[in-house]
Amino acid sequence: MEPLLAIEGLHKSFGLIEVLKGISLQVQRREVMGFIGASGSGKSTLLRCINMLEVPEAGSIRLAGELVGFRDTPRGRRLLPPRELSRQRRRMAMVFQQFNLWPHRTALENVIEGPIVVQGIAPAKAREMGEALLRKVGLEDRVHAYPSRLSGGQQQRVAIARALALQPEIILFDEPTSALDPELVGEVLKVIRDLADEGMTMIIVTHEMGFAHEVCDRIVFLADGRIQDMGPPAHIFGAEAGPRTREFTRRYLDRHQIITGAAHG
Amino acid sequence: MGDAAYQWDFQVIWDYRDVFARAIGLTLSLAALTILFGMVLGLVLSLLRMSPLKVVRWPATAWVELLRAVPPLVLVVWIYYCLPILLGLSMPAFQTAVLALSLYSSAFFAEIFRAGLQSIDRGLVEAASSVGMTRSQALRRVVLPLASQRMLPPLVSQCVLVVKNTALAGYIAVADILYQGQQISVQTFRPLEVLTTVAVIFLVLIVPMTMGANVIESHIRRKYYR
Repeated sequence: MEPLLAIEGLHKSFGLIEVLKGISLQVQRREVMGFIGASGSGKSTLLRCINMLEVPEAGSIRLAGELVGFRDTPRGRRLLPPRELSRQRRRMAMVFQQFNLWPHRTALENVIEGPIVVQGIAPAKAREMGEALLRKVGLEDRVHAYPSRLSGGQQQRVAIARALALQPEIILFDEPTSALDPELVGEVLKVIRDLADEGMTMIIVTHEMGFAHEVCDRIVFLADGRIQDMGPPAHIFGAEAGPRTREFTRRYLDRHQIITGAAHG
Repeated sequence: MGDAAYQWDFQVIWDYRDVFARAIGLTLSLAALTILFGMVLGLVLSLLRMSPLKVVRWPATAWVELLRAVPPLVLVVWIYYCLPILLGLSMPAFQTAVLALSLYSSAFFAEIFRAGLQSIDRGLVEAASSVGMTRSQALRRVVLPLASQRMLPPLVSQCVLVVKNTALAGYIAVADILYQGQQISVQTFRPLEVLTTVAVIFLVLIVPMTMGANVIESHIRRKYYR
């Protein structure tokens, strides 16, 4: 079966620093893929390239077979015009580390702004859909609150509802819990877990190793702009993983043991 | 009280009330036109200064720096007397004052717009892109509403300065409040009453502007930022 997302030989540099040095991977429909790695390994940049928030220099990204961000012309590869890019981006919703809710819009308005402005959906219909999505993420009583009145966990759940409002084929999560106080992480992970159970295709950049182990179908370990290891959690966290992968995951598991004081199985 | 005590006499002000009324109207229209043209030109300058093209950005920056550095009085007098000599282009005094004060204030408006637009968190714009908004949709729906909230206080202070700078138009005989006040005090030998009145008029014009701005600002803060 054709993969939903197919990345081939992706390169990205910032100035003289090459952040992505040839990334190739495929994501199947209904698959949950985790990106792990140290900060600076390129995992967030890879995610942002998929959504064309960063423009890659070489390689290709295909969404259900369609080239993302560019089109091939007789005179070479050209950036897509804004309208086309907009259409593609709506198929790949993004959830940011810092939530990035618009502070001058209520929770509901944040969710339905895109559908109303971009897709021209009637406001009454959009509101109905927005309220249903906020109910889905457990915020039915915070519909008309401005972001400043919401906790970090609530803001991130609004951001997930905003992503869902696009009816995307895949959701890209960029460290969705890294900016949260520890006691708020659980409520956001629960929403993501529910989406996984419903069969939503997702890529999750995360430092939550336990969560990645539990929810992801496959995990990609990135270091130095390259994929060092890729496979199901049992492989990545198991004895057959590459030496760099084992060293990286062990550090996280050690820390986890220190925090919980429990032996790790 | 001895003979030395000054006898205040505000009767002269009442006698000249028509002159003051006309002067207030003139000052207000001078200020309104200056704010209008200054803001439009300032917005254009700020967009040029943020252009990715160096050939556009550089002249706009130089122009803003030049206008900010020149004393506004010099600008007024220079345009009034030098443009006719250099270009054979002579304008009535009122239009000259509007032009000079608009040019001068546009440099400051430009900097306020630039700072306001650049203060918006990139992430909020990326979120707009990620839901499919084009650049102009993101500008209209996210950047401008948020930037205008932040720009309101400095914009109001700049407008206050514009109102006060209208007094410079008197140097080329535009009959604004201060100019007329000076005329009246020469005729009546009552400079203290006249100048006090001029000060009160400016106070009455300006304080409602700043108070209105404060009300709007605290409303925005309460509504969106707790």
